[in-house]
Formats: sequence, C-alpha cells, structure tokens
Amino acid sequence: MSTQTLLNTLIAASEYALVGLSFAIIYVVARFFHFTHGAVLSSAAYVAYTAKAQLRLPLGLSIVLAISVAGLLGLVLELGVYRKLRRRGATKLTLLVASMGLYLVLQNAISLVFGDSVRVLRDLSHDKSIVFYGGRITNIQLWIILTTPMIFTLAWATLKFTRLGKILRAVANDSELANVVGIDVEKVTLIAFGVGSTLAGLAAVMISLNVDMTPTMGMNVLMMAIVVVIIGGVKSLRGIAVAAMLLAAVRHFGLIWIGAEWQDTTAFLLLSAFLLWRPQRLFGLPLRRASV
Amino acid sequence: MAYLEHILILISIYTILAISLDLLVGHTGLLPISHAAFYGIGSYTSALLAIRLGVPFILGLLAGMCIAGLLSLLVSLHALRLREDYLAIATFSFQVIAFSLFNNWTRLTKGPLGIMGIPKPDIFGATINSSHLLLALSITLAGFSYAVITAIASSPFGRVLHAIREDELFAQSLGKNTFKYKLTAFTVSAALAGAAGSLYAHYVTYIDPTSYTVPESILVISMVIIGGAGSRWGPLVGAVTLVSIPEGLRLVGLQGPAAANLRQMIYGALLVVTIMIRPHGLMGKRGFRP
Repeated sequence: MSTQTLLNTLIAASEYALVGLSFAIIYVVARFFHFTHGAVLSSAAYVAYTAKAQLRLPLGLSIVLAISVAGLLGLVLELGVYRKLRRRGATKLTLLVASMGLYLVLQNAISLVFGDSVRVLRDLSHDKSIVFYGGRITNIQLWIILTTPMIFTLAWATLKFTRLGKILRAVANDSELANVVGIDVEKVTLIAFGVGSTLAGLAAVMISLNVDMTPTMGMNVLMMAIVVVIIGGVKSLRGIAVAAMLLAAVRHFGLIWIGAEWQDTTAFLLLSAFLLWRPQRLFGLPLRRASV
Repeated sequence: MAYLEHILILISIYTILAISLDLLVGHTGLLPISHAAFYGIGSYTSALLAIRLGVPFILGLLAGMCIAGLLSLLVSLHALRLREDYLAIATFSFQVIAFSLFNNWTRLTKGPLGIMGIPKPDIFGATINSSHLLLALSITLAGFSYAVITAIASSPFGRVLHAIREDELFAQSLGKNTFKYKLTAFTVSAALAGAAGSLYAHYVTYIDPTSYTVPESILVISMVIIGGAGSRWGPLVGAVTLVSIPEGLRLVGLQGPAAANLRQMIYGALLVVTIMIRPHGLMGKRGFRP
C-alpha cells in the first residue's frame, strides 16, 4: 500500500467523478444514456490539440476554445438531433441508439483526421513533479485533484442555493410536474446539455494534459464514469464522489493481485454486482422498475 | 466470382446475427448490446474444440450454440429485470467483459494473437473447401435461422413477446410470466449468434478478439434497425445493405485503416439518419418504432 498507489487512486477518482458529474447533469434532465458524450470528451481534447499544436495558440486560449467547443457540441446535439426525436415521441432506447450512431460518426471523424495514435498536448519540457511522502505527483495531476472538489462544491452550492439549481432539481425530480408548474423543460434540457458538455470539455482537457489523447479516450473514461454514476446514484453528488473513490480504489489497489489488463473487467463486474444485488445503489433512488 | 461468393457468405453470417437479434429488438422490444459477445463465444468455442480436440464442425457448431446460450444466462438473469436503458448498460458491461476475456485470457484464447488454422467445415468427414459449397452451407444455415425466428414470431410464444414489446405491465396483468418469456428469447438469440460465430470461425479459419467488440454489436443493431426491426425481411435487408456498403468502398479503392474509420462513420450516419427520418427502417411498417 504505497503513497503512489494512493495518489494514483485520488487522481483517477477525480477524473471519474468529474466526467461522471458532467454525464449525470445531462442524464437526470434528459433521462437517457447519451453515449455521444464520449465523443464530446474526445473532441474537446483534440480541439485543444489543434489549437495549440497546429494553430500555435497559447495553451490557455486552446483550453478555453476546447471547453467552449465541447459545450457548443452538446447544444448542437440536443437542438439538432435529440429535441427533434423527442418531439416525434422517441423512447429512451431510440435516443440511446441515436447517440451511439452519433458517437460512431464523431469518434471516427477524429480518427480519420488525426489518426489513432497518441497525440500530446502538454509541453513535455514543462512537466514538473513534486515528491510527496514517497509518491510522485505532477503539476497537472495536482490540478486535477484540487479542481474536482472545487467543482463539486460549486455544483452543490448552485443546486442548493440558486434559482437555476432549484429548477434543475425540479426537472430532474419530475419533469412532467415541473412542466405543470410552468418550468420550460425544453430550455432546462438545453442548459443541462450545455453545462454538462462544458464540464466534460474541462475534464477532457485535464485528462489529456495528464495522459495524452487518443480518439477513444472519451469513451474509455465515460465507461468508467457511467459505472460510477450508476453505482453512486445519478442524483447524488455525494454518491458520485464516493463511487468514484470506490471504483478507483478497486482498480488501483486491485493491481496488487490482478494484472492491469483486467481493469475494465473488474470495473464492469463491480457494476454488474451492484445491479444484481444492490439496485438501490449507494445513495440514490432505486432503479429497479417500479413494475408491480 | 469467388469474391461475390465471399460477400454472399458474409451476408449470410450477418443475416443469422441480425435475425437472431431482431427476435429481441423487433419482437420483444429489448436492446441488448451484447450480441457480438455471443458471436465471439460461438466462434471461440467451435474453434478451440476443433483445434484442441479435433471436434468436427457440426458438433462444434452445436457446442458453440449451447455454450453461448448457457453463458447468456450470466447476463440475462440479472439484466432482464432492469428497465430498458439499464438493460442496455448491463449488456454493454457483459460485452466489455467478454471482449476483455477474449483478449486477455491468453492461456485459452491466445489473446490478441488470435487462433489460426481453424479447419474448414466438414460434414461427416467430407471437408467443404470449395467456395460454392461453403456458400451453400452458409445460405442453408441462414435460411434455417430465418425459419426458426419467423416460426417463433408467428407462434403463440411470439405473440406474447409482441405483447411484452407493446406493454409489459399489461402482459403481466394478463398472467404472463414475462421474465420467463424474455429469458427464453434471449437464450435462443444468443445461441443463434453462437451458431453464426461458429460458421464464421470455420470459414475464415482465423479469429481474433477484434471481431467481437462493442462496435460490432452496434453494427448488428444497425442492421436490424436500418433494415426494419420486427419486420419479416428487415434483418436480411439490413445485413445486405450494411455488408455491401463497405465492400462498395473497397471497390472504389479505399483501403487501409482509414477505410475502417470511414466504414464505421457510414454505419453510424445511416443509423442516425434512419432513426430520424424512417425509424421503422427500410422494410418495416410505418408507425412502428423500435
């Protein structure tokens, strides 16, 4: 049990939690698994890469650009595809399938343009690391570990104290009832897509600064984020945070006994175990259909 | 000519996959993302039995079907209790786990190296080598699968599946044990996918994990939806369409890794376009929504 493993767990947990939050914001409002989110994540990273490596823009500007594009992409997806489908009575499954198709298109577009090999965003000469009780942590990793709790706190405060937060919670809780009391659910959905996708952009940029980027990086981290969100409970910030820690711990401390190639398997076995034995999840509402 | 026969054999294999998936998607209203896993289980079972134990093709095929059907219980028993989109996630997990096993359990499957030298199919000792006979075999198996699924769909069992698709709660209120029906359909679907896998393995004589991934599952889903889920000829039309297009690309000269990306883009785009402008697919009845 080394400090390094602990640090790696914290970093991974932060990544899962942040991506999970970005996904959950969309899911609680839109009510379907928007797989294209994986492509939104990857796109953000590659926009930053294009801006910095091809257009030679400064890193800060590249990051801002990337996050903006991610948010815009989310809005475009909602306005251009999902809203139209919903108006025609699409079910959750239909939207899910559409999101899978969209993901294929976007991810392969990235692969076509940039190739499947790894692209580096960070300045390799700038990598500074601090030694901390026997474990090494780089600058960006420190950023990741510090930013995530800040964003979670911000999210918590927004949801609890602001009007927007209350409206979001209302729609997440019962969108029909929210509609009845006069909330514009369509607008809230759009906002959720915007916020969730923007947050995803931030997460993607940080992740790619840490471990570089490939076209499938988005889906890879999204898979873990989905596990986290389902286990932790979509409506519970606390749940997402705890589940992220749990998953990261299982994956990293599990390396002591099982090889790295089994990490995905352990993550999904964990999910399956939860779906099977504890559908109440950690803190959320039961997902078992209330079929009588 | 041999090239055309090759395409037709591929179409036959994908027809088996599409029609077996359609039993769940079109007739029962479920969306599993695990079909490629059972395809792979069938392939690996049949291939390993043939190579390690010299098991003849027909037995290998049956074994592939049985193992796929049996292993499907690992996912169906818990996934079928979940709501529709959580079923997708649960089957997605199974697919990822299955691929991981294919890729990392190297003792059994040789991992990314794949399994080489799988013997061509043999019927009672006579090896089927010529492309004409292989095509005949493939079409026979595809026709058989089609007949089975069509028979199920028009049977009383099938009518209950349709009822589940329309309103599961209502079907339950009429006294039907919907879980048992879904479970049975799922097992049959997985077994047929295993059969397709076995045929594929013995036809191409080399398999590796990359044929049994999440995008492959999505490809079969696309065939079903684009062709027309729940319709009589939809899965066949879907298989023909989605196999022909990348081959068409190849004829135009696009090769290499870029072609693979382009192919997936086309699948994805066709899927989205179909859902947006013609959700009942090419052959489905207007008003039907998967």
